[in-house]
Amino acid sequence: MSSVAPTKWAEDFASATNQDAELNVHGKFFTCTYLLDMGTRKVIVEMHRGKVENVNLDPQPLDAYQFALRAPEETWRGMAKEVPEPMYHGIWAASFRKGLRMEGDLLVLMQNLRCFTRQIELLRQTGVPV
Amino acid sequence: MANFSPVTGRYVTFEVDDPDLGGEYKVFFLENGRGQPLVCQHTAGCHNHQWRGVLEDPEITSSYRVIAYDLPRHGKSDPPNNREWWKEEYRLTTDFYTRFIVAFCDALELERPIFMGSSFGGNVALQLAYRYPDRFKAVIPVEAADYSPGFFLDWWQHPHANAAQVCASGVWDLMAPQSPDRDRWKTWFYYTQGSEAFRGDLYFYSVDHDLRGKLGEIDGDRCPVVMLTGDYDYLTTPQMTEATAKQIKNAEFMEMKGIGHFPMSENPPLFNTYLRRALELIQRKTAKVTGPAR
Repeated sequence: MSSVAPTKWAEDFASATNQDAELNVHGKFFTCTYLLDMGTRKVIVEMHRGKVENVNLDPQPLDAYQFALRAPEETWRGMAKEVPEPMYHGIWAASFRKGLRMEGDLLVLMQNLRCFTRQIELLRQTGVPV
Repeated sequence: MANFSPVTGRYVTFEVDDPDLGGEYKVFFLENGRGQPLVCQHTAGCHNHQWRGVLEDPEITSSYRVIAYDLPRHGKSDPPNNREWWKEEYRLTTDFYTRFIVAFCDALELERPIFMGSSFGGNVALQLAYRYPDRFKAVIPVEAADYSPGFFLDWWQHPHANAAQVCASGVWDLMAPQSPDRDRWKTWFYYTQGSEAFRGDLYFYSVDHDLRGKLGEIDGDRCPVVMLTGDYDYLTTPQMTEATAKQIKNAEFMEMKGIGHFPMSENPPLFNTYLRRALELIQRKTAKVTGPAR
């Protein structure tokens, strides 16, 4: 699984998140808004109590988010493989070796790190919209 | 009949002489096996359960006395008995760390043990080969390099976040996705228990440990060095370890495939296959030095 159409990806990502056993058990306080910057495609994901409230596939200049992950398309595609190759196997690995940058209010990221880490791993099931 | 493990745990109390962190330490260790002592150091912010797969591997423990201690402030090893440590910022130094390990080996009256450590334990294995080459029969630095910057972060102990989860999930992708869930989650669980020490440990790992330009002074004949690194380790990549090993006289390097930065804990059976090869290499190298055993 890697590149998929944006609207399908948004549906799949929301569905995978909302049905995930781990997030359903541990997501009670997972409420935040973040940006995934995949180069040609940017999305803002709004989370509320562990569920996807909205996926904004066309962020406008003043659409707010608390933190952002920015990485080249190739990095996102590598992270979205069913079994990622070394250095594509997580946001920390990619930030050290594959050009991923964590930006914005990183405290919010750290406060939600357990759930966010799990949610980003769901890209291995859903692919990415680039 | 109770299903006992052959592994036993004990405490030992001894002094460590060091101007910054020295004092009296009560240290917990697990052990199993007979023969050549093999002393094991867990990774930063963790404890000795990471070595459960080595401690309970009968093939290894039939020839090696495997000893895995908890570094002070980790697991069941207390902070120092006679220092007001709560008034100090914990920053692990190379001086204390190496002195502690030598003092521990002295306390247990171990003669020339093999020392093995992973991550910050791997880096200190290099430091032991550099500083105390005659005290150890050999060292096995796992997931180590001459220099490993970037992980001395305030996030590990930030009071506005759940530090237990930040430490555990922050190191999650140091492990390979192929490693069994059961063992990865055990490792995650151990990491929820060490957040008060993790940041200070990483002062050693990412700041104080720096052997760049000094590796040529390590004599891999006097104290054989066998380095093992997993291909999913993003902190000390196989390339970094290989470059380190190349600068140490007669050091060996093995890349471990399909495993990450906590190999003995995230996938014990796979790690043990590489460890057995490392121990055989050491046996051959040390037999050469002391003359062939015939």
